[in-house]
Amino acid sequence: MKKALLYLFLTLAALAVLFPLLFSLSLALQGETVSPRILPDFTRLDFTVFAQVFAKEPLMGRWIFNSWVVSISVTAGVLLVSVLAAYPLALFRFRGQTFVLFLFLSTLMIPWESTILPNYLTIALWGWKDSYQALIVPFLASGFGIFLLRQAFKTVPAELHEAAVMEGCGRSRFLWAILVPLTKPALATLGIWAFLNTWNQYYWPLLVIDNPVWRTTQVGITAFRSTEIASYNLPMAATLIVLAPTVLVLFAGQKQLVEGLTAGAVKG
Amino acid sequence: MMDLFHRAVMASSRLHPGRETVSAFVYLAPALILFAVFTFWPFLRAVQLSFFLVDRNTFEPALWFGFGYYLRAFNLGETALGDDWIRSIATTFQFTLMVVPFTLASALALALLAVSKVKGIGVFRTIYTSSLAISLASAGVIWSLIYSPNLKIFETILTDARTALPAVALMTVWTNLGFSFILLLAGLQAIPKDLWESAKIDGAGSWRTFWHLTLPLVSPTLLFLLITGTIGCFQAFTQFKVLIDSVGPDQSTNVLVYALFTAFWAENNYGFASALSVILFGLLLLLSLAQYRLDTRVHYQ
Repeated sequence: MKKALLYLFLTLAALAVLFPLLFSLSLALQGETVSPRILPDFTRLDFTVFAQVFAKEPLMGRWIFNSWVVSISVTAGVLLVSVLAAYPLALFRFRGQTFVLFLFLSTLMIPWESTILPNYLTIALWGWKDSYQALIVPFLASGFGIFLLRQAFKTVPAELHEAAVMEGCGRSRFLWAILVPLTKPALATLGIWAFLNTWNQYYWPLLVIDNPVWRTTQVGITAFRSTEIASYNLPMAATLIVLAPTVLVLFAGQKQLVEGLTAGAVKG
Repeated sequence: MMDLFHRAVMASSRLHPGRETVSAFVYLAPALILFAVFTFWPFLRAVQLSFFLVDRNTFEPALWFGFGYYLRAFNLGETALGDDWIRSIATTFQFTLMVVPFTLASALALALLAVSKVKGIGVFRTIYTSSLAISLASAGVIWSLIYSPNLKIFETILTDARTALPAVALMTVWTNLGFSFILLLAGLQAIPKDLWESAKIDGAGSWRTFWHLTLPLVSPTLLFLLITGTIGCFQAFTQFKVLIDSVGPDQSTNVLVYALFTAFWAENNYGFASALSVILFGLLLLLSLAQYRLDTRVHYQ
């Protein structure tokens, strides 16, 4: 009896959480209508809507491609820059170490929105508007990423590093052949985090992209919504198409991401 | 390129094996350069521009304006021509107070449900986490259609000054739920089992167990979510742009970052936009300091 009650609550909560997604699926499959209903007519579901999105908006494919290019580039770049910066911070002893640590820490305090205006002016001045580099380069250094990897690198004993360097193992060899393979879980966490964050960006691409060709999916779907204001099925289908990659990345990497994030949050 | 980089590192450490400083800075160089160009310089530049009238074409500071923009942002000084900018700051606080407590409470309720080990619980956990994968822009599009007048469920929710802000807040709670849920679930799972059992043996009711055992033990996670949630709310922009795309009915949804966007993008008032961005930084700094003090008081296991 108690168990039945638990399942009832679990199911009700699941329906509440899923409602917006189920509802958008329902709207997408109802066909073109000005007065959509909450539940579709299950005998007349219209699955061609997903193909119609690409026919109606020829740039849709390009937007998805752009999002992949930008997200993969930022992810790779963040991993590289963070690995390089975290290594000396975790295992070297050098002059100015505390100061550099403080500098990186202070980047966490400066919200991106506070720098957005001069950054926009920089990008405009360099003639980078409507380009991939405008969407990629400003995000390659991440204070969060550097601190996450520094924590992970610190779990490797400093004596091991010193001994290896004394024995003639080059520093870069130690980094790529020993340190990076040892800390794969943290790298995976950072990678998933960077990918999801970049894929979901909206404000910055909205500012630096004028030409629709260079749009990413997030800006694309909102533009799509306003041009297709009369119908509901197409914008909903477009949104679901855009959601698919992040949902897949999340489900594939959920355990990894959660373990990495909770290691920082729960332990405080 | 990489090869050249490695050789430079090798050379620097071979020449002076005792001096790690040089090679350290070779490794740090990319991050330092990127931060200098895209974080530190723009931030200092924003501070500088906030004191000037800025040329719209060259983006250069043209005329000293002193604290004029800051006075305007707080409704002081003679330039407030019926503008109500301090309301943007108040609206931002209001929005945060709607979103953060509601998110924490509902995520904790979901986590308490999902911590029980019954058959098929994995499916429910995955469902409760799902909104983590949904971007604010996508969620905005979905909810704008839920709120659409044509659907006749919520006809005037976004056009009524009393309901517009709560409507955006509700959508934001939904988007934040997955992240908060998964961290709270992990926090609950980290509580040792014998603690629950000894509470049961002592005859503590479930309500008492919740207040005196569960809640104190997940409070570090709750505090972390309080901080990240508050910061997120203060930076909220996407949901307002997608759902409302204006200052809202009777200016009721003109949060700080949206006001910044308008000053920057629609009005090309770079000096005022810069001042608003410095104010945003100051508010977040104050909040972090306050929460840091709170942090030292929260129970740690």
